[in-house]
Amino acid sequence: MNREALQHPLYVMVHPFNGYWDLKYERSQKTSLIISFGILFMLILTNVLGDQYSGFLVNMNNPRYLNSLLEAVYVLVPVLFWCVANWSLTTLMDGEGKFVEIFITTCFALLPIVLINFPWIWISNFISAQESSFYYFFKNFAILWSGLLLYVGIMTVHQFSPSKTIGTILLTLLAMAFMAFLTLLFFSLVQQMIAFVSTIYQEIVLRR
Amino acid sequence: MVARIKKLRTGLLALCCLVSLGLGGELALAESAAPSYNYSYWGNAVAAPSAYEATKLITGASSGAGPFNNPQDIQVTADKQIYVLDSGNNRFVILDQDYKSVKAVDAFQFKGKAEKFNNPQGIYVTQQKEVYVADTGNKRIVHLDSSFKAVGIIEAPKSELLQANFEFQPVRVAVDKADRIYVMSAGVFDGFMEFGADGVFKSFIGANRVHVDAVEYFWKSISTKAQREQMVMYTPTEFTNLDINDEGFLYATNGDDYGDPIKKLNAQGADILRREGYYKPSGDLLYSTRSGGAPRLVDIDVSDSEIYAVLDASRGRVFTYNGDGYLLYIFGGIGNRLGEFNTPVAIEHSGDDILVLDQALGEITVFQTTEYGRTLNSAVRSYYNGDEELASQEFSKVVNLNANMEYAYAGIGKAYLRQGEYKESAEYFERSMDRTNYSKAFLLYRKEVLRGHFSTIMTALIALLALWLGLRMYRKMKARKKVELH
Repeated sequence: MNREALQHPLYVMVHPFNGYWDLKYERSQKTSLIISFGILFMLILTNVLGDQYSGFLVNMNNPRYLNSLLEAVYVLVPVLFWCVANWSLTTLMDGEGKFVEIFITTCFALLPIVLINFPWIWISNFISAQESSFYYFFKNFAILWSGLLLYVGIMTVHQFSPSKTIGTILLTLLAMAFMAFLTLLFFSLVQQMIAFVSTIYQEIVLRR
Repeated sequence: MVARIKKLRTGLLALCCLVSLGLGGELALAESAAPSYNYSYWGNAVAAPSAYEATKLITGASSGAGPFNNPQDIQVTADKQIYVLDSGNNRFVILDQDYKSVKAVDAFQFKGKAEKFNNPQGIYVTQQKEVYVADTGNKRIVHLDSSFKAVGIIEAPKSELLQANFEFQPVRVAVDKADRIYVMSAGVFDGFMEFGADGVFKSFIGANRVHVDAVEYFWKSISTKAQREQMVMYTPTEFTNLDINDEGFLYATNGDDYGDPIKKLNAQGADILRREGYYKPSGDLLYSTRSGGAPRLVDIDVSDSEIYAVLDASRGRVFTYNGDGYLLYIFGGIGNRLGEFNTPVAIEHSGDDILVLDQALGEITVFQTTEYGRTLNSAVRSYYNGDEELASQEFSKVVNLNANMEYAYAGIGKAYLRQGEYKESAEYFERSMDRTNYSKAFLLYRKEVLRGHFSTIMTALIALLALWLGLRMYRKMKARKKVELH
């Protein structure tokens, strides 16, 4: 992996149209995939570090309930849901993107959050309550930036028109909600089944 | 947007919880906590040393006044005389400091006629030892002087503020220093009734707010007038009790599940209770429906230094808060042992002791402070009086007795802040999760550090800048040389 490949995410951040075009048509998919996983990992890492080491004034987490594995789930599950939902939808809506491309696009779009997270974990230890509004401003700014990148990325990867992209994104969110509902339903049913079987087992064992 | 992400996160967490826990949810309840506990910043019930312990049980028989029958209210004067309103026997009994009966009053003279009480519900004794009794059965307030002769009687008032079918059923009464009389009347939703010293009705004060359910509101808005008349009316919550402090502020409890069950009313009827604590003062935070559901606060008692205690009838617990709204300690309970009640109805303080009246058993339980309670009370008092130095010492003792008393750390932090020990101060504020004060102390500390190391920091910055410029120049020179060579 050369230096240029590592710098490409930063290029995408400031030149999303060109960047994502290059990502789709010019860059090696394998390298991009590795970088994508790297970004996801960094996001998980900065989230974990942020919850643990952010300054007292902005850190509202109960340290007793911090769970690094759950932090990873909070990042991975939404990204995975997003990619699956988007891919399922766009195959029906004449999108040109493959699943891998959607995944890479999504991960690259998350970079601003990682980049803002990291310095602010450190700086938030030296700010006062009044200055904490800067903290929240930059956090929100990063999220907005990521959203914009995601929008441009989806538009490029599927070769959609701007309005169609907005529609797709809204539908994707709907599909994500639907998936969450189905997952819940599935787990709930499995649980009921397990409970049923275990109850019968108990009845048999106790009435022998 | 961060908040929205947080929400999404909680949503996901809820999803995970639902998936992993299913139907059998784990409930963290105060019921399973230690007999004496306190609520931490995070809302957990944390064990705490008991601040008060029951030492004595006073019954009508033990006081020498004959058994109490369904007593409803007690009042303690400054010289520690206890007035017990023995409703079932239509009398009130005065006990002295040693809890022995001094006098029982069951009749009084008014306009040359002997009058009796009929199921009185509330009693108030002023500093001049004049007695006001809410004579509920006779629908009147009786005002007796210190020798128990009737001075005045307030009958059902007439006013355009009152409806034609208004029924005057006074159940609780309080009187301020200017002899204004505040009456809590059953079935009145407009707040307390305020009477002047001459017994003339003036107005209502401090009505609770109506809580409107969005769904109900929707149905009401689309229904016809005839349908609406069949529906339940929105009425503000009734107050359940009141007390008055030395400055004339009314402290009141109500059965409001949504709003604020404890209120401090000023002369205009506005709620001015300070709610700076980790949670709003409202009794138990964690409870289950099995043990009686939400706290039902039935009485409030204000003592000095703005410390007030409320009595929760559903679990028989006494919650004591300081003027800022921090929960200090909890004691009591429902049960059969000393220090537990059957149906507690009234709470009063007598010096540092706390008395709780049990209606069904006709008993008064006397609670006395433990060393922990004494230290905590004295710390809160010295802080209230502005003696931060002494308060800090007392709070240190409190912390030694109970390291979980988060509020005490703030007391120590404040003393450090005053002394200019900003770093220690910030540390203590962090321990007490007091973000506002932490920020104050931290800013001062940061300023101090930056001032102290200003020269070092600037030197380092300038050196770095020079290094960077030098490096750039060096590179440029190198590049130029290369160009010249070619």
